[in-house]
Amino acid sequence: MSIYAVMFYVLGAVIVAATALAITRPNVMHAIVCLALSFVATALLFYLLGAPFLAVLEVVIYAGAIMVLFLFIVMMLETKPDEKILGPSRRQWLPVLALGGVCLIVMVVFLLLAAGGPGPLPLVTAAPLAFGRFLFQKYWLAVEIASFLLFVALVGALYLGRGDGTTGG
Amino acid sequence: METVLLLLLLFPLGGALLNATVGRLLPRRASEAIACAGVLGALVMAVIAFIRGGGSTQHLTFFPWIQVGDFAAAMDVSYDPLAAVMVLMVTFVSSLIHLYSVAFMRDDGDYVRYFCYLNLFVFSMLVITLADNLLFVYLGWEGVGFCSYALIGFWYTDAANADAGRKAFIVTRLGDVALGVALALFFALFQSFSITYINAHAVGLSPALATALALLLLWAAAGKSAQLPLTVWLPDAMAGPTPVSALIHAATMVTAGVYLLMRLFPVVALSPTAMMIIAGVGAVTILYASLAALAQVDIKRVLAYSTISQVGYMILAVGAADIIGGMFHLLSHAFFKALLFLGAGCVIQALEEEHDIFKMGNLRRLLPQVYWPFLIGALSLSALPMIGGFFSKDRILEAAFMQPQAIYKVYWALATVAAGLTVMYTFRMFFAAFLERPDGRTPETVKPIPRLMVWVLWPLAILALGDGLLNLPGGPGKMLLANFFATVPGARPDLGASPAVSWGLGLGGAALVLAALGLTYLLFRRPRPDIWGRLQDPLCSAFYLDRLYLKCIARPYEYLAGVLWRDVDEGGVDRGLEKAAGGFKILSGFMGLWTTGRLSTYLIMLFFGLTVMFTVLAMSWNW
Amino acid sequence: MPTIVPYSHVLILAAILFLLGAGCAVARRNLLMILIGVEVMLSAGGLAFIGAAMRWQHLDGQAFVIFIMAVAASEVAVGLALIVYSQRRSGTLAADRYDLMKG
Repeated sequence: MSIYAVMFYVLGAVIVAATALAITRPNVMHAIVCLALSFVATALLFYLLGAPFLAVLEVVIYAGAIMVLFLFIVMMLETKPDEKILGPSRRQWLPVLALGGVCLIVMVVFLLLAAGGPGPLPLVTAAPLAFGRFLFQKYWLAVEIASFLLFVALVGALYLGRGDGTTGG
Repeated sequence: METVLLLLLLFPLGGALLNATVGRLLPRRASEAIACAGVLGALVMAVIAFIRGGGSTQHLTFFPWIQVGDFAAAMDVSYDPLAAVMVLMVTFVSSLIHLYSVAFMRDDGDYVRYFCYLNLFVFSMLVITLADNLLFVYLGWEGVGFCSYALIGFWYTDAANADAGRKAFIVTRLGDVALGVALALFFALFQSFSITYINAHAVGLSPALATALALLLLWAAAGKSAQLPLTVWLPDAMAGPTPVSALIHAATMVTAGVYLLMRLFPVVALSPTAMMIIAGVGAVTILYASLAALAQVDIKRVLAYSTISQVGYMILAVGAADIIGGMFHLLSHAFFKALLFLGAGCVIQALEEEHDIFKMGNLRRLLPQVYWPFLIGALSLSALPMIGGFFSKDRILEAAFMQPQAIYKVYWALATVAAGLTVMYTFRMFFAAFLERPDGRTPETVKPIPRLMVWVLWPLAILALGDGLLNLPGGPGKMLLANFFATVPGARPDLGASPAVSWGLGLGGAALVLAALGLTYLLFRRPRPDIWGRLQDPLCSAFYLDRLYLKCIARPYEYLAGVLWRDVDEGGVDRGLEKAAGGFKILSGFMGLWTTGRLSTYLIMLFFGLTVMFTVLAMSWNW
Repeated sequence: MPTIVPYSHVLILAAILFLLGAGCAVARRNLLMILIGVEVMLSAGGLAFIGAAMRWQHLDGQAFVIFIMAVAASEVAVGLALIVYSQRRSGTLAADRYDLMKG
């Protein structure tokens, strides 16, 4: 077992713990912070798995933009006192746990038996320059469409969030 | 010959059909004329057939009736001496009763239905008499049953009459079941329904089978002829019009059972056990019905129980292997019983529907034209020496006495005692109705009756007086009937009794009758309704037989039907269906819980589908 | 050449993360939490792609992660705008209160 494998398992444990923590917090704010931690760990994992550029992007976009956006919205929305701690109850978790458990067992068994080739993966890193070239060479159309998508989202968000000026800042 | 017999059957059938279809459109006289012509035509044909071929046996086929696969049943006819005489009697008595009915039903608006059924009945009875194919017999058998039901319940607007008709039909139906089983058994054994064939080939039958067949036939005959234990329908059948009682319950339908046994006698005779049982049923019924008749108050019910008793004599004759005696008594009984019933009908109409003999009296003076025929009938029924009924009854007693087995002596004793009782109940009725008494009828309470009704009585009276001449034991023209019947399978003209025994029995019987007559005169000269005291109830209700059947059969059946109706049908089936529908409703209600409109519910359904997809994928992976 | 874990382990980690995200989306009643669950699921999908890129030594897997991130971002933007809008309209963030389509 190489050092990289150990790092992988540790990081995996951190991610899972942080995410589990995040999804069980009654307070949304706490949940978002935990999730941000989880994304940072995920970014480290990406770096470990040979995608440094994507690791940075993960921190910037996910942990940076999306989670912060969530925080802003949470702080912006005037929620009623009892809803601030609108948390899950045991009754809500039970069917999910059952189904999730079944799914987990099935997937783990399946993956262990069927997925991928034998033996550990060789560790190769993709240099950002090479990656960028590759991206714009092979998938330039998808990139254009993605930018278009972002533009549409921008317009939509602007329109929907316009409001009548009565919301607090 | 074939035409004659065919016309014999078609005349009454045609009359019935005509009356059924256009009877209501025709004037009253036309409809009555059609009905009477139907039967008179049959009588003429019967006479012609008798003259042409009475003594011989002929077989004719009228009509290939059923043909299914390799099973065929045709409407076959067997005209042997037995049938010849029976046909003559049936048509003759029916004609007289039709004429009587024209006058009897003069005030009734429903005459078309009446005459239609009456004609149909005569047709069915002639079918039974003539038929050679057992299925054809069954057709006639059911026909008489149905017509009897329709005619007993003729005045159905009164629920009691309808009930009586139903009761008659159901009780005789119990007998018909046995006949159906017997038919099936006959076919299984002989592959043929033909009576002649069966009689000819009956010799090889095992005793057990023969006994079974004979007992089945006995049960069927007991149903139709009102023998124990199926006697209960006949007294209640008196709810019908009196001519119907005269025809159906005196001369014809009740004798159909005896006639069937006589026709199939070679089969019945194979089993001595069955013969003893048959004779036993007859003997016990004779005594039972005589005792019951002693306490009856309704004049028609006395005659009804009398009929049961006299038919018992005929059954006893069959059981004593004496077809000739049975047939002889059948003829005598037809004449005098029809006479008595018709006379009773005259009395009832004259006294404005009065049936109670203790409310009659003085009729000798007030209705002399009915008094004399009725007296003749009563004397014949009582078997007064030298008068008609005496010879036939005497012959039967002799036949019973001459049988080898010891039990027949017991039967003989029972029948002889009953003969004495016959005198008693007959003349108890006669004295109460006709003799002078201070509290009897007065002239203004007696209505005049049409002369037709009285004229019809006389031919029957003459026959009742003189039919002993048909079969005198000795002297000129002796044993006419016996010799005529000699060719019928199973008939024994000579009973094998020595002259001493024969004379002894005859004189003994005569003495008994005369003594009984004297005793009856002393006891019943004055009407004494409560002479039997505490015995009145048991005797009058025929030893509570009706009540017994009600308690043991009808009530449990009713209870069972109620259980099946309420608990099984409504409770089980209906409730079960309701529960099933309710279950479906609950199920769909449960399903409806999922349409909450809430996001969370839909999300969890998605998750569930995802799980299912993963599982299916994993399972269908080719490992 | 240094090696790391077998490919199935990467996928198992991605599966666990995916199920956690799915559980969050399904079990929580707060609209925001549901959206967070979606984000987690998308992240897990990205992890699976990275693993696949390493397994087959193609960069296509990594390229696809870019697009996943783009989609996630735009979806979050529009989703949050919708949540704000509906919160303004009905005054509540509880998913259970939106039941006009009740059967």
